[in-house]
Amino acid sequence: MNPMVPSRRDFLKGAAAAAAAGVVPMSVVKLAFADAAQDFTFAYISDAHIQQISGAKFVHNWDRGLIRAVAETNLLNPKPDFVMFGGDLGQLGRKAELDHGAEMLSKLRYPLHCVMGEHDYYLDLGEYWSKLFGPHHYTFDHKGVHFVVLNSILTYDDWTYNRWPSAEQRMLEMAGLDNPNGSPFMVGEKQRAWLQADLDKVDKATPVVVFSHSPLQKLYKGWNFWTEDAEEVQALLKPFEKVNVIYGHVHQIQYNQIGKIAFNAVMATAWPWPYPQSYAQAQNAMPVLTVPMNRANPFFERDATGWQFVDVHTGRVAMKYNLYNNTNRTVAWNPGTGKPEDSVFQDPAKRIPPQVHY
Amino acid sequence: MKRKTAVAVAAAAVLAVVGGIAIRADEFTKQDQERWEKEYMSVVTKGRELWTSPQLGTNGVACAQCHPNAANTHPETYPKFQKQLGRVIALREMINWCLQQPLEGKPLALDDPKMVALEAYIAHERRGVALAPGKH
Amino acid sequence: MKQISFGLIVALGLAATAARAADAPAQPLGLPPVPIPADNPQSPEKIALGDKLFHDKRFSSTKQVACDTCHEKAKAFTDSPLHVSEGIAVRGKKLTGTRNAPTVVNAAYFDAMFWDGRSPSLEDQSQHPFVNPVEMGLKDHQPILKIVRSDPEYVRAFDKVFGKKGAQVSMKEVEQAIAAFERTQVAGDSPFDRYFYAGDPKALTEAQKRGFDLFVNKGRCVSCHVIEQTQALFTDNRFHNIGVGINDIQKDVPELAGAFLQAKATLAEVDRRVLGDKRTSELGRFAISREFEGLGAFKTPTLRNVAVTPPYMHDGSKKTLKDVVVHYNNGGVTKEGDPVNDFLSGGIRPLNLTDQEVDDLVSFMEALTSPQYASLPSGARTEVKP
Repeated sequence: MNPMVPSRRDFLKGAAAAAAAGVVPMSVVKLAFADAAQDFTFAYISDAHIQQISGAKFVHNWDRGLIRAVAETNLLNPKPDFVMFGGDLGQLGRKAELDHGAEMLSKLRYPLHCVMGEHDYYLDLGEYWSKLFGPHHYTFDHKGVHFVVLNSILTYDDWTYNRWPSAEQRMLEMAGLDNPNGSPFMVGEKQRAWLQADLDKVDKATPVVVFSHSPLQKLYKGWNFWTEDAEEVQALLKPFEKVNVIYGHVHQIQYNQIGKIAFNAVMATAWPWPYPQSYAQAQNAMPVLTVPMNRANPFFERDATGWQFVDVHTGRVAMKYNLYNNTNRTVAWNPGTGKPEDSVFQDPAKRIPPQVHY
Repeated sequence: MKRKTAVAVAAAAVLAVVGGIAIRADEFTKQDQERWEKEYMSVVTKGRELWTSPQLGTNGVACAQCHPNAANTHPETYPKFQKQLGRVIALREMINWCLQQPLEGKPLALDDPKMVALEAYIAHERRGVALAPGKH
Repeated sequence: MKQISFGLIVALGLAATAARAADAPAQPLGLPPVPIPADNPQSPEKIALGDKLFHDKRFSSTKQVACDTCHEKAKAFTDSPLHVSEGIAVRGKKLTGTRNAPTVVNAAYFDAMFWDGRSPSLEDQSQHPFVNPVEMGLKDHQPILKIVRSDPEYVRAFDKVFGKKGAQVSMKEVEQAIAAFERTQVAGDSPFDRYFYAGDPKALTEAQKRGFDLFVNKGRCVSCHVIEQTQALFTDNRFHNIGVGINDIQKDVPELAGAFLQAKATLAEVDRRVLGDKRTSELGRFAISREFEGLGAFKTPTLRNVAVTPPYMHDGSKKTLKDVVVHYNNGGVTKEGDPVNDFLSGGIRPLNLTDQEVDDLVSFMEALTSPQYASLPSGARTEVKP
């Protein structure tokens, strides 16, 4: 039977649930937990890559991705408490790109917090970004959860300050994902010291959510799916009972569990990236846990792009991926196995053909 | 008999001229292979340049933006039925589709040297993967 | 009679269909075999029964409206050139719905029926217009059952076809007969089919050949209006927001979507609301899927015989095929430069077609008309007036 067409029974079931929940397209994952902390949701939009062609002309495709994510976020019910932007608002860090992106983000009805991405940073080292969005790394607390925003796309000083003849050249070099002239991302010693001092003040039972552009793991160096000081940062997070890291940059569904830290990647609104295992010439480490997103049909410009809303329930994160032209996906913490899992496709027997990447 | 000797003498003369290396018209040497390999890599390099160039289309988008290291191009599956064109096609027709659609540019002639370079780069990054024509 | 031409095709040896039940409709050139559900095989008697039910005006509250009122064979099973359909008359005035009547021709190849796909089969679809307040106005199906259980011709037919009598005859049998009749309404063998599948280079004009090239390449049509190597349904059986209708309600989407979900919406209720209220109708597939993706999205119709079934789109808002192509050329808006709606499908964007290219695409679409409908008035370039 064509999965696109609901049977009447499915339809009636869905109608009842949806009528109760409002405009929200996905049911809120209810996890059984003895002590319920405050539950809330927030939305996550990332990797818009607004790209200037010339003057006031921008790449139509990426513009539409951000516009749609914002419009749909505004329809969410229950309303999200705030919205995160996950980094890479512009493609080459230009003022025109950041302004154009900020204008689209300004249509959001909820408070916005932003994460720095490398495409925003390497032209002017985040100077204009600060004018628009504030500090590059910071923390905030919300309903009993401690949120940390890292600038995790820094790199070695030598590369940043001495290597390139111009800021534009430096930005171009970092902009190429597969550019062998690039340099690995890191949080860096200074920021790690700041993080340590901050976390020392936080009770170890407080749930911690870290927002980062780079994965805070070492996945595939060739495409900078990589944080050079991942182990050091993870060590700082180790003392906490419940840690969730949410990262951008990879433009694909990924999730993983290292020790007590659950890692979740977010989708890009602009374009999808291949999984590193599809590059035949490279050895790479992809989290075994991840059930890949569906492969893109490039005709549909929004295919394999999307945005997400995050359901925080008793300090654990459930990622609801809102995907265009695809079945939405939920990756939620499974208390039985102690890992994030895809609520439908985790079992290999349930996978569908577009999830096979080769 | 005389003729054979004459030929042998002539051949020996040629050998002497060429300085002792025996080269037949349809044999090639290790040096030839190395040189040809370099010729090929020069085109692969050209393909890589095009791959990262914002000039292929009209909107500044480069192939490498969606296909780092030409990943996800699946050259080993061509020819195959391509949904976006409604028929079975060869790889270069899909390259042209990408040039026109996401890159909003003009297609290349199927025998354009640039097209060959793009294919050479794609194939080089996918070397070693077995043919699987028609696969989705 | 059109039935005889099917017999001819079968006789020409078009396939394995000859090996199956001789009454299974053979597929015309350019189309695959008609999908027949296992629990509703074809038979000449069932088809004839379905034909009779399809044309029976007694199945409406005013006894004036039958299926063929909106799906009339002489108009390629539509009510062209009406923009939206007209149903029963109340106090002398015909009630109107919100949607343009789609053709039954080749509907057998759809995975879901109605513009928003709310019905999963031909069988299921057939029951809804009877009880829709603006279409046929019955309160429930009882009047139909009364007639088919008592009218002698029907009694004989239902017994012969289904082996059922009296109270055993239910809406299920009625639906199955109607669906069986509809499955015989398939049409291919257009000039395009003869060109592309039969290899006749003269079947298309030069303009149509250029249009075909545009259809696949610059026009970006083929991804949704599917043509494949050995067959062409001209639909992908999916739902897309192409910016028709939704542009008018964009600001109201949050209120409409929310209000729609608050109401207790059974399938029958959806059926009533989308045909009763134009603004709700524009929500499209969202009314069924409750997903963001469905906002303003409608099912890709087939383009077969499109030239003779004006006007176009789910709301009949495009009078000619030229208007349609211009809408696509503008990137999903009727007037060039208007803002596109936020939920526009990723497949829609400005095409930069020249006037000549627009015209060539229209010409190509004229080549999709099957021989049996070739004499109907064409809505390709000029409005067909009632």
